[in-house]
Amino acid sequence: MAELRLSMTQEARTVLSDLLRLIAPAASRVSVNRANVPGADEEIAGFWVETLTAQASEEARLLAVAFASAKGDPAVIVLPNEAQAQAFLRSLSAVRMALRDLVFADITDAQLESSEDIDDETLPTEKRHALACYACFGLLQQSLISQLCPEAFD
Amino acid sequence: MAKPKLKPEIKTESLVSAAPKWNVVVLNDPINYQAYVVVAFMSVLRISSAEAKKLMRAIHAEGRATVWTGDRERAEMLALELQQWHLNSLLEKDG
Repeated sequence: MAELRLSMTQEARTVLSDLLRLIAPAASRVSVNRANVPGADEEIAGFWVETLTAQASEEARLLAVAFASAKGDPAVIVLPNEAQAQAFLRSLSAVRMALRDLVFADITDAQLESSEDIDDETLPTEKRHALACYACFGLLQQSLISQLCPEAFD
Repeated sequence: MAKPKLKPEIKTESLVSAAPKWNVVVLNDPINYQAYVVVAFMSVLRISSAEAKKLMRAIHAEGRATVWTGDRERAEMLALELQQWHLNSLLEKDG
């Protein structure tokens, strides 16, 4: 498979990078907290927590490197192969999970599913900002899936 | 002279009961896009896009669906891999 590319304006890259720096340290905790770790077997539970923690750390690193190396305007993130693209896809999901749990805890699932319908004026500025970033990370995922596996869409 | 036919009575009994099956269940979540869930299923469960979409739609409609059933060890592995895709997966004993 040829390399996959994600492009965005330089301004979007800067805004998303700034948010990632803030949210990435907490994303690992969110990832483990959300997991339905089997509690009956301590050995298995330990393995799950260890695996998910290590993955979260790798995802944070992957995102940081990708956004830092996206140069030019539009800024382009280049993913050299399918494995990297899938890892990037998962990393974006982790960030959206973290935003959901840490920033949008008071927004209902139904509201979040149709986030474009949320009345922006009712939310504080920082939350509107985070919501816009949440949507952007989603758009990057959609763009990546359309290149990686277009048949996944209906 | 014909030999008497011996018909030994043989009783068989299963000494080992079948190992219980485990279900890998995925719950609906409002964060991951449907196409993302399809990609995750194709990658982890090694199924076609049509099969993956069928599972995704079942989860969306019912709130949850069993995506795999089988032995415990493999079920644990698949549930963990789905968690690594940030899907809300869990293990349940079948039956």
